[in-house]
Amino acid sequence: MNLPINSSEAELVIPELIMLFGLICIILIPNLGNASFRIPLTRIHVPVFIGGSRFKRTSNPKLPNQVSLIIFTFALFFGLMQNSYGTIGDTLEVTEFSRLFSLIFIAALLLATIATTHRLPARPNVKPPNDDDSENISTKKINALIDNRRQVDFHIILIMVGLGMSLMSMATHLFMLFVCIELASLSSYILVAFHKESKVGGEAGMKYFIVGSVASAVGIYGMSLLYLWSGDLSLDALSIKWAESSSIDPLAGIAVGLMLVAFGFKVGAAPFHLAAPDAYSGASSPIAGLLATASKAMGFVALMRILVSVTMPIEGEAFWYTAIAIIAVVTMTWGNLAALTSSNPKRMLAYSSVSHAGYMLAGLAAIGSGLGSEEAIELVLTAIVFHLAVLVIFKFGAFLVLSLLETEDRGHRLEDLHGLARRDPLVAGSMFLFMLSLAGVPPLSGFLSKFLMINGIVNISAGTGASDATSVLDWLTSVEPVFWLAFAIVINSALSMFYYLRIGLVMFFEEPEDSRAMKDAFSLRLAIVVCAILTVIVGIGPLSDSLLEMVADAINSFVSN
Amino acid sequence: MTILTLTPIAVGLLLLILPQLLPGKLALSIRKFSRNVSFGVSMALFAFATYLSFTTFGGIDWLDINMGEYELMNDKPVTLISSIGVSWIVGVDALSLPMVWLTALLIPLSMLVEWDAKEGHIFHPLILVMEGALLGVFVVLDLFVFYVFWEMTLIPMFFLILVWGGEDRKYASMKFFIYTFTASVIMLVGILIMYFHTGDVSGVSGTLTGHHFSLIEMNSEMIQSEGLRHLVWILLLIGFATKMPSVPVHTWLPDAHVQAPTAGSMLLAGVMLKMGAYGFLRVAVSLFPESTVVFTPILIILGMASLVYGALVCMGQTNLKRMVAYSSVSHMGLIFLGIATMQPLGIAGALFMMFAHGIISPLLFAVAGAFKHHYHTLEIGSMRGIAHHSPYLAAHMMLGWMGSLGLPLLAGFVAEVAIMIAFWMSFGWLVILPALTLIITAVYYLTSMQKTIFESNDRHHGILPESLHGEEPRDITWNENTSMFILGILTIAFGIFPFIFFDMMSDWSSEFVSEVLLSYLIEQGVRP
Repeated sequence: MNLPINSSEAELVIPELIMLFGLICIILIPNLGNASFRIPLTRIHVPVFIGGSRFKRTSNPKLPNQVSLIIFTFALFFGLMQNSYGTIGDTLEVTEFSRLFSLIFIAALLLATIATTHRLPARPNVKPPNDDDSENISTKKINALIDNRRQVDFHIILIMVGLGMSLMSMATHLFMLFVCIELASLSSYILVAFHKESKVGGEAGMKYFIVGSVASAVGIYGMSLLYLWSGDLSLDALSIKWAESSSIDPLAGIAVGLMLVAFGFKVGAAPFHLAAPDAYSGASSPIAGLLATASKAMGFVALMRILVSVTMPIEGEAFWYTAIAIIAVVTMTWGNLAALTSSNPKRMLAYSSVSHAGYMLAGLAAIGSGLGSEEAIELVLTAIVFHLAVLVIFKFGAFLVLSLLETEDRGHRLEDLHGLARRDPLVAGSMFLFMLSLAGVPPLSGFLSKFLMINGIVNISAGTGASDATSVLDWLTSVEPVFWLAFAIVINSALSMFYYLRIGLVMFFEEPEDSRAMKDAFSLRLAIVVCAILTVIVGIGPLSDSLLEMVADAINSFVSN
Repeated sequence: MTILTLTPIAVGLLLLILPQLLPGKLALSIRKFSRNVSFGVSMALFAFATYLSFTTFGGIDWLDINMGEYELMNDKPVTLISSIGVSWIVGVDALSLPMVWLTALLIPLSMLVEWDAKEGHIFHPLILVMEGALLGVFVVLDLFVFYVFWEMTLIPMFFLILVWGGEDRKYASMKFFIYTFTASVIMLVGILIMYFHTGDVSGVSGTLTGHHFSLIEMNSEMIQSEGLRHLVWILLLIGFATKMPSVPVHTWLPDAHVQAPTAGSMLLAGVMLKMGAYGFLRVAVSLFPESTVVFTPILIILGMASLVYGALVCMGQTNLKRMVAYSSVSHMGLIFLGIATMQPLGIAGALFMMFAHGIISPLLFAVAGAFKHHYHTLEIGSMRGIAHHSPYLAAHMMLGWMGSLGLPLLAGFVAEVAIMIAFWMSFGWLVILPALTLIITAVYYLTSMQKTIFESNDRHHGILPESLHGEEPRDITWNENTSMFILGILTIAFGIFPFIFFDMMSDWSSEFVSEVLLSYLIEQGVRP
């Protein structure tokens, strides 16, 4: 039999194959019924199972969720187990780097699936409640929206996102990279609009779609210019061509700049971040969490591929150094300042996610300064990837808490968090932990990643300060500007403390508007607690070591390519 | 030491979290016993710490420890985060031992004072967590873990103020958190600069970053640039001085103290302020003696400003807790002056000041708390003639105030005298300034004492504050009395027998001066 890939190649992509298989399953299983086919002229009925009236089990509205839960769990498990690497065809290569990112994406999707267990997405033919509806009617409408029988669509799209992202991290060809990003992005636009019980959902999805597709169009235009210049879009060929050319061709420079717009939109860098807060606050919390973690990680993979593997000169400063440095500082400051003034927790988390993108971009900019030794560059890359990995834990954790609030149609205003500690101390404590980790309080994992970043940037700038400086001022004026990136991160972290702490403050201090105990959503609650525990033990102890080792391996494989 | 640090944290967290996870009935029984368990654990730790402290007569001779050597150290550091060179190294020397003992002492006492706190099933475990973090700060010799514990002390204290505090608790806890957090972030920058210069010295291998946090293996030569050394020193000073607190950055302290519950105030004044002085001596002064000498004027100005300003503001206070808080600021100024003398006696005096203030100020706050508890007010003038209504309270109050103003034979006196003598030795007649300030201290204590405890129009009844609404005030309860009694006894005991800890402190400081400072000073041509 002539399969498109042979067994040794298939072994490399087991998690992706599981997702593909799951995609088929999730379409088929809810359609299983008692339909049968009568062989003509006989009375023999051959059961065909597809169609007819569905079995009790397959018509269960929770089924798609359970199926995708199983799929992602298996994919995560096999992804963790896998240790063989190699290439598949011309455009995909499985390395430690791509495997790590697949795991990050799948973990985020798994959390999103868990979060939707108790917060089922909408039924299309029910309209969201209007402002002038009586309370009774609006409750009925919301119940109808939440009790959904067609959430198969939702999970199909969720798995498509997983496939797109996972394959994207393996792509070694720009075109493949772009197609995978689009697969994931288009799916995520739909997911944003899937938030049907609120009126802002559709608007947010539309906005996100328009801005996103413009960014993609700009990116693909840049890619076509790059193709004009090199005649080949595989990353290896591009980097060889780039290294050979003595000066930067304007065509190639513009091309890379245009692609930065597309990927900058994905990571939420200023000034391309403007749609992000609307999208996050309009989407349901699990999806907002997905955008803030997996989607951002995807953008950074693309940025790292373009900036570090292709256009980074062997010595000296990369041409994008100043641009990225400025974007980084603007992004982190803008994100933090905007987060300070936002009263919607989702919007606040969106802006905080923008500022986190700024921190990571600062790391990329420091690499571009060309001052660093190989170890220092690897350290910064490790920090970036580690940060992306741990973001899944605590940023998604925060969105999980909001998801829990959304099960009772709350979570859009800061007031909804008021007095959470009285209603549910465990969830509130976890939320506080997530906030502290986002702010970078040691010894939580958020600190470790930020610390590695600062460490890497300082290592890059090390030795630039005059060692014979006698006064403080002398020393400060003699350091390279790249040092100030680390400084900007520190200042911004201090700034961000305010709004993270405010969440803690309203949870513990304010009176709750509604003092009923929280809805008993076991799996969601379990996921929150697991995230909280991971936030601590990935920050300090053996688990952080093994994760860092994994990241360092991934970076090794990334750099050696 | 590991046990001392980790047990309270583990037990405290367990007591906090378990009732959330377990089903109703079991959770209830845990809640019922959690304050007893917390108290028991803290008492056990106190017994352990006492045993350690007084093993001079047994195994360990505390006076025999050289500079840079630690007792009870774990020989093999346990790696916590190998990639950035963090490991678990704990140990004590003469600098940290009195602080460890003090912490272990104050925790059960402060629990006792607030034995009947509302929601005790959260309150007491929180204090237990706090104990672990505080002890951690004093025994850990790895700067990363030090910083972690440093920050960890904030969180229980933040909640103590936020949940059990007074009317303005929200503002106070926020201010407390923001001030100390910002300061410690600045300190973190200093630590990071130090961190980035390690590695070229000891060549630690196996870490991703090529650096390490181990305090033992750091020294001032690792940073070649003198300017950078000064910068680090100043960053550390900002971090530690805010915690102490010294004058320009002290404003969080009165607010926090006034709003905090009694136990919180006791720990805040007794131990948390000492963290600043301890960290300053352990990190900034020990590692960068040259910068300390260069910046001595800054220390003197800060110390003097705190001392004088704190004392002057005290005179104008009508709120009991606020007055005690400002007197703390004033006393912390003396610690800076003691360090600035660069004399063994002065540094030893500063160390003993840390310890004596750690006994006296909790007593004062316990008194203030009891006053608030039974008289429902903290205004000094509103109540006259407590001696009649609450003789025990009045006695403790007097003892505390006397100790705080430095009456001979009480613990505070020893420290003040040591610092003054050293100050005279170093700066001659400048000593008049701090000495005069002590008179101000005496003035504000004596006037408020006269106002509150004794003076009364009617010899038999005194004036009762309006907040009592005509009820007859009670004397303090047994638990408050016990813990104040213990603190009072210790104030007297350490006034008469200061050498219990003073010997090891002066030993530490003379070793510090002879081994660290002297070599540098001789190099500079200064004759000490």
